[in-house]
Amino acid sequence: MQSKWSFLRRWEGLLLVLLIMIVTYNAFNTPGYLTVNNWVNLFQLSIEKIIVALIMTFIIINAEIDLSVASMMGLSACLAGFLYAGGMPMEGALAVGLLAGIVAGVFNSFWIGIVGLPSLVVTLSGLIMYRGLAYVLLEDRSIGNFPAWFNRLGQQPLIGPFPLAMIIFFVLLVFAIIILHYSGFGRYVYVIGNSKEVARYAGVRVQRTKMLLFVASSTIAALAGLLYAARLGAVRGDMATGFELDIITMVLLGGVSIFGGSGSLWGVLLSVLIILNLRNGMGLANLSGHVQTGVIGVLLILSVLAPNLFAIVRTNWSRRRARATEPNGA
Amino acid sequence: MNALRRRFQPEQIRELVLIVLIIGIIIFFGTQIENYFSPRTFTRISTSVAVVAIVAVGQTLVILTRNIDLSVGSIVGFTAYVVGTILSRNNDIPPVAVVLLAVAMGAVMGSINGLLVAYGRVPAIIVTLGTLALYRTILVEISGANSVLTNELPRWLVNLPPVNVFTIGALDIRLLFFTALLVVIIFQFIASYAAWGRRLYAIGSNPDAARVAGFPAQRIVFTAFVLSGALAGLAGFVFLARFGNITVVAGQGVELQSVAAAVVGGVNINGGLGSPFGAFLGAILIDVIDNSLIRWLAISEFWRDALLGLLILLAVATDTVIMNRLRKLWLRHELQISGSDAPVEKGGAHHAV
Amino acid sequence: MQHVSKRFDATQALEDVSLTLYPGEVHALIGENGAGKSTLIKIMTGVHRPDAGALLLDGKPVHVNNSQEAQALGIAAIYQEPMVFPDLNVAENIFISHRNRGMLVNWGRLYKDAEAILAQLDVRLDVRMPARGLTLAAQQAVEIAKAISLNVRVLIMDEPTASLSAHEVDQLFRLIGALRNKGVAILFIGHRMEEVFRVADRITVLRDGKLISSRVRAREENLPAQREQVIREMVGREVGDFFAKVEAPRGGLLMSVRNLGKTGVFTGVNFDIYAGEVLGFAGLIGARRTDVGLALFGIEPADSGEIIFAGQPVQIKTPEHAMQLGIAYVTEDRRGLGLTLPMSIATNITLPTLRRYLNNLGLIRRRDEQRTAEEYRDRLMIRTPSVNLEVGKLSGGNQQKVMLSKWLNARPKLLILDEPTRGIDVRAKAEVHHIISDLAAQGLGIILISSDLPEVLAMSDRVLVMREGRQMGIFTRSEATQEAVMTAAMGQQAATSAVRP
Repeated sequence: MQSKWSFLRRWEGLLLVLLIMIVTYNAFNTPGYLTVNNWVNLFQLSIEKIIVALIMTFIIINAEIDLSVASMMGLSACLAGFLYAGGMPMEGALAVGLLAGIVAGVFNSFWIGIVGLPSLVVTLSGLIMYRGLAYVLLEDRSIGNFPAWFNRLGQQPLIGPFPLAMIIFFVLLVFAIIILHYSGFGRYVYVIGNSKEVARYAGVRVQRTKMLLFVASSTIAALAGLLYAARLGAVRGDMATGFELDIITMVLLGGVSIFGGSGSLWGVLLSVLIILNLRNGMGLANLSGHVQTGVIGVLLILSVLAPNLFAIVRTNWSRRRARATEPNGA
Repeated sequence: MNALRRRFQPEQIRELVLIVLIIGIIIFFGTQIENYFSPRTFTRISTSVAVVAIVAVGQTLVILTRNIDLSVGSIVGFTAYVVGTILSRNNDIPPVAVVLLAVAMGAVMGSINGLLVAYGRVPAIIVTLGTLALYRTILVEISGANSVLTNELPRWLVNLPPVNVFTIGALDIRLLFFTALLVVIIFQFIASYAAWGRRLYAIGSNPDAARVAGFPAQRIVFTAFVLSGALAGLAGFVFLARFGNITVVAGQGVELQSVAAAVVGGVNINGGLGSPFGAFLGAILIDVIDNSLIRWLAISEFWRDALLGLLILLAVATDTVIMNRLRKLWLRHELQISGSDAPVEKGGAHHAV
Repeated sequence: MQHVSKRFDATQALEDVSLTLYPGEVHALIGENGAGKSTLIKIMTGVHRPDAGALLLDGKPVHVNNSQEAQALGIAAIYQEPMVFPDLNVAENIFISHRNRGMLVNWGRLYKDAEAILAQLDVRLDVRMPARGLTLAAQQAVEIAKAISLNVRVLIMDEPTASLSAHEVDQLFRLIGALRNKGVAILFIGHRMEEVFRVADRITVLRDGKLISSRVRAREENLPAQREQVIREMVGREVGDFFAKVEAPRGGLLMSVRNLGKTGVFTGVNFDIYAGEVLGFAGLIGARRTDVGLALFGIEPADSGEIIFAGQPVQIKTPEHAMQLGIAYVTEDRRGLGLTLPMSIATNITLPTLRRYLNNLGLIRRRDEQRTAEEYRDRLMIRTPSVNLEVGKLSGGNQQKVMLSKWLNARPKLLILDEPTRGIDVRAKAEVHHIISDLAAQGLGIILISSDLPEVLAMSDRVLVMREGRQMGIFTRSEATQEAVMTAAMGQQAATSAVRP
């Protein structure tokens, strides 16, 4: 496809410049900003969302969307907590939590791939349903007192300065990049995102690819939910509520088109770094978490608006010019 | 049968089915819950449905044009909070001005969405995801994490929810429900009789054709967003009247409830099909289930969201699978007639020779 | 009488083109694809602005910035694919753009008015029926009714007959006659000579963005001569210049199709195809030739009859299965179904055969992919600086060659080509014809679906003619004259045609 560094000229290039600016600003204004520990902390605060953003990138490039991921995170964590509180060993509870992700993924892909409903509606109902099931399990209780090893996994470094969740993220990131950008499957993801019909006419199994992605999405969301539970040390019915919006914002800001077919994990990685550093910088400037969310919302709109505005201004300008020259041509 | 086919479109049959479904569910819960068939049940449901019903009508206008408005929850919260704050500082503002203020605030927020979608050509889902965050942020900032408290509000507002407009038998039609009803009727009228309303359907039905059809499609989409915002503002006022105590998280989740109500009510997520009345029925169906599950002792009230999610899915699945069949049935009938050489009454293009 | 006239002096896609439309006259505009016809329409309807030149209405210059302004001036366009609103009913579709009918819809009056307009046109249609269920012809009738209701003065029709059956074309032409009598100026863009000469009062030829000629239709006795002249001008060369397939020895039997049918689409298709043979599929648009191709490729599988491929009876249900058997289908819809335009040439070429380029880990061997793409670039003379260029940036002819490469790389035994030269320039066309001939010589069986009759006749060893989903006959090369094939395609079974299964 394109040469290795050509992405710098595109959206990703802009993101990189933005990132460097923010990091430079933060580094000059905060002592100890560029230390490994500070960066680990930065990542650790949103690590579950970042993990899910990886698979969401695949889904949106495939011209679909999965709104149910945050509810799935909540459900898997609550299910594991519920079973643990009911006397099941933690290992088994975690395995069942993960299994729930697979089951929910199969459920989503059944409606999307086989019945043929739009993924927006299927996963919207998943968003409500899985959250509802989490409440069914825990009602308004909170479950904690997990085994020490479990909390340690979520809160303490495992290898070097990195906790388990970050290591999982790095591993998944490498896999995701290889699969999306270098494998045949990734190629299919792009082609289907560009045009389902072209893919079908070339003998690509469109439905199977889509279904695979939705199973993977729910499974990874379930995994992220369990990691979140480990980090918090407790589970509640409302945990991870609203995360889907943050996750989708990360992906779209990374230059992935909401209509599918374009974007890259590099861009998403950059947008994740920008969001983390921006939040951190704004936090240091004493702006509340809500303002940070608002700023990122504006950034999201601007990322799509800016190129459009540019195009509109350009056509208007050429129209005006055309009219100005008209008398000579008539 | 032919007369029936001519008179009813599949969509209208769908609304009938919805009504039957609502009645069926009510009868079911009537056998399960003691004292279910009482005026109080009606009052409870009619009061709680008002907010979502009003928002769902606005949401329907937007969805009809093949767009979506996810910011309405934040708009409801914003107007409820800001209007509440203003009122608690100054109890003497006339009620009409208060309502107008709420609607105007919503309209301004809606117009920002509309501007970005219709003229900025940014996909609606991105715009309204962004403003969902943005409007909530502004609210949190200006609130300084304080809440609006009932005892600071003027008496007329606090006493608003129990106000009756009229009574049918033992059933009280409360003012807030009546407002929602009025909104539904007005916009149902607009959707079926106003040129503007019909063009909403045209745009969602075929956006490409709308661009070259010779009517101002951009402006119509813009107006749909403004109205969606304005109705969310009105819903914010209803929210304030109903709850009195308003925190900064007020109205969170209303965006999804309104989309759910519209979709369950038969509004096609891809635009062009559905009606405000259908969305209203969808809101009622959801609310009946919601309210009844809380009182149903057989299962935990916490089941309601899980069932709601399933309900939305099934509603859409029926819409796609069964309605498509139904439409085909209609279509095949039309085509058969057009295919015959008998005098043509409907369907097909036939020229008198 | 109103004097409607228009003048263009536009450059680039259109180079200094001027043409005049008169009320009550049907003005046919013809030219090969890429000649600039669509650009012209877009300028007239306000989608594009001319870089130079002006539009004159009643002798006064006018500016058209968007569809509303075009409508206000009385200019309307009807496209190949009718632009109706499927969820609205017929009456609403007619009146949706009206601005003088008040804020509210009076449904009773709307239906009555719609019926009146349709009656004027002699069209019988239930005005309460949603447009979703209408046939294409009926949808066009609705659009014409809409144009009339808007008091249109200039009506542009962009290949309105492209998807119509012969019967529907008759109906359409009657409508056009009615409009002409009302004093509407009509710009009819067509590609089929018979139709153009049937309907037009004046004929203008456009080629490569330039106006070549403009003339009043000749009298009946001079028509054939004029027609030949027009075709010459359109193509820019003699009609007889078509490259003819080089005779090649016929190989073994490749595939037999027996009584193939699909309910409501086509029925009773019977043929054998041999290795090294080109079997042409001729017929008018709407003859369902593409549907037979799609059935053989498993996109829309047939539901009756049998296919015997390489001696084995097979049920082709998916494209993957067809590809395994060695069948490839090159679609007529290059942009919609054939190529992913934003992706590179190499990516497009290797798409159906991607599995061949994966290593054991499922990763793409980029170097092999690149090599294949470059091989095909040289072999088919795809003109591009790099195989990593986006396909969307290539010309139509080069895109067509990329599509051919894509399917040749699948190494098929049977290649189904659907309109392989539609919308590409003359030189690319000749190249594609050479490629087809070479492939047949190498032993491929080729099904050539084409609406370009001279092309089918020149390229095919045998010609299968279809009409409205039915096979009308198979002609050998010597039997397949233009007249015989046309007669069969139009409905009469030619006496000479021997139906050979």
